[in-house]
Amino acid sequence: MQDSLQTALRIAASGLQAQSTRLRIVSQNIANAQSTGSMPGADPYSRQTVSFESEMDRTLGANVVNVKSIGVDSSPFKLEHDPGNPAADEGGMVKMPNVDVLTELADMREANRSYEANLQVAKQSADMLNTTISLMKDA
Amino acid sequence: MQLSSVYLFEIGSQKAQWLSARQTAIAANVANANTPAYHAVDIQPFSAVLDSSPIELATTNPAHLSLPQSEAGALREVDVDPTEQTLSGNTVNIEQQMINLGDVNRDYTMNSDIRRVFHQLLLSALK
Repeated sequence: MQDSLQTALRIAASGLQAQSTRLRIVSQNIANAQSTGSMPGADPYSRQTVSFESEMDRTLGANVVNVKSIGVDSSPFKLEHDPGNPAADEGGMVKMPNVDVLTELADMREANRSYEANLQVAKQSADMLNTTISLMKDA
Repeated sequence: MQLSSVYLFEIGSQKAQWLSARQTAIAANVANANTPAYHAVDIQPFSAVLDSSPIELATTNPAHLSLPQSEAGALREVDVDPTEQTLSGNTVNIEQQMINLGDVNRDYTMNSDIRRVFHQLLLSALK
């Protein structure tokens, strides 16, 4: 059986990884918030979503977190009137991405908070390991 | 005073083991703080671990698999106020987990400090 503290470190690492994937998707969505199609009437960028799942890691014997899937948000695109845009159809309407920057920012804050929490766990686990090691010092 | 009658090192290492197991539970909760349908877990209190004397299977053959030493690390789901549950069915309260994390860290430091002091006490008797 592996040392519990090292297991805790690994679990926290899986959390950090999952949250950074989430941040990557959020930044991708924000970066593409204005990405329209290139052909008249073409579909613009579709917002991507990320979902997590708890998975039993057999070598660790603990529940780590994994990115379950990166999906595509199928909500309808916003229509804007912009006849000068290359993606405008005959009526001058352009399909804009279904990205709501406010939602993305809220998601980013949550990912940030969870990332910090995981980092805290990792730091404290490392501290505890060091405490044990320092028992051997000046004995 | 007989130091041998004080099972301090025994209890100390049990407590350290228990605290490490608790740290693992907290790490799992925090890592899964945004996982749909995940339920927060914790381990049984230390007093319960001390009171119970688990019966362990004897390993009489090299081919026998060794089981985890005790029930110290057995996880159980925490009862959470239903209003705390998020829409996705997650019951992790991240603030509570951070408090638990601080508790574990403090107890661990105290535990190892006490053991260090006792060790120095024993050493001073030898000098």
